[in-house]
Amino acid sequence: MELKELFNSSNVKLELQSEEKDDVLMELISLLKLDDKAKEMLFKMLKKRENLGSTGIGKGFAIPHCRSLVVDKLNVAFGRHTKGVDFNSIDGKPANYYFLIVAPPVEISNYYLPVLGKVAQFCKSTDITAKLDKLEKVEDFLALLEETGS
Amino acid sequence: MQDSQLRLLMFLQDLLMLKREMEDFQVVEKYEEMGFDLERKEKIEEAIREVTGQLDPELHHRFQIIASKYDRPLAPVKNGICYGCFVSTPTGSKLVTQKNDVIEFCNHCGRILYQPGTL
Repeated sequence: MELKELFNSSNVKLELQSEEKDDVLMELISLLKLDDKAKEMLFKMLKKRENLGSTGIGKGFAIPHCRSLVVDKLNVAFGRHTKGVDFNSIDGKPANYYFLIVAPPVEISNYYLPVLGKVAQFCKSTDITAKLDKLEKVEDFLALLEETGS
Repeated sequence: MQDSQLRLLMFLQDLLMLKREMEDFQVVEKYEEMGFDLERKEKIEEAIREVTGQLDPELHHRFQIIASKYDRPLAPVKNGICYGCFVSTPTGSKLVTQKNDVIEFCNHCGRILYQPGTL
């Protein structure tokens, strides 16, 4: 599965507003089509995952992820924060670019780890932060995924 | 707000799933190759203890019995079918917990049932 197949205008937000790590997580979760209780449970699960080690992989990227019963298929979201937020990233720098990945415990297609790997690879692409910074609208992000073959 | 016993069980199952991932050397290696830091992965035990501490003891006991048979003790019900054993569940057996939550079990496989989308 290619990343461009997973993103659309409703799960991408180029101007995240939150100023704290927890609020960023909630803002990303809000991009998924879930009811309030499911969002709350997902937030708790993502927090527990963050407690094992931050998903801030450095260079401005964070990829919060988990498996949870509250979703019945793979869900993703992308958010960009212009100033960046402290996400306890491994390089100690704020995170500006966020990919949220949530999957059910069992998926027939088993895309979770491959998608996580593709996102991690995308984050390591040449000049990717400069390209992400230039995005003006959601369609530009979708085009960037297409351009990078992700 | 207090979580319902069913939501706590769902959370517990998610945490146990995460624990299994953290115990799988190959999966951990994949995560580390992707650039994730998992230096505090033992913290998962603490999270599991925290959730089990909030569970009705009888319900937790039944969960453990089911978990000893199946990797995933909870199963969704869709269109009256238990998605653990794929058998119709017209009338599941029930347990009313001390907190007055009603937990339903599949009559066929015994898994704890939940309705996706109605947490």
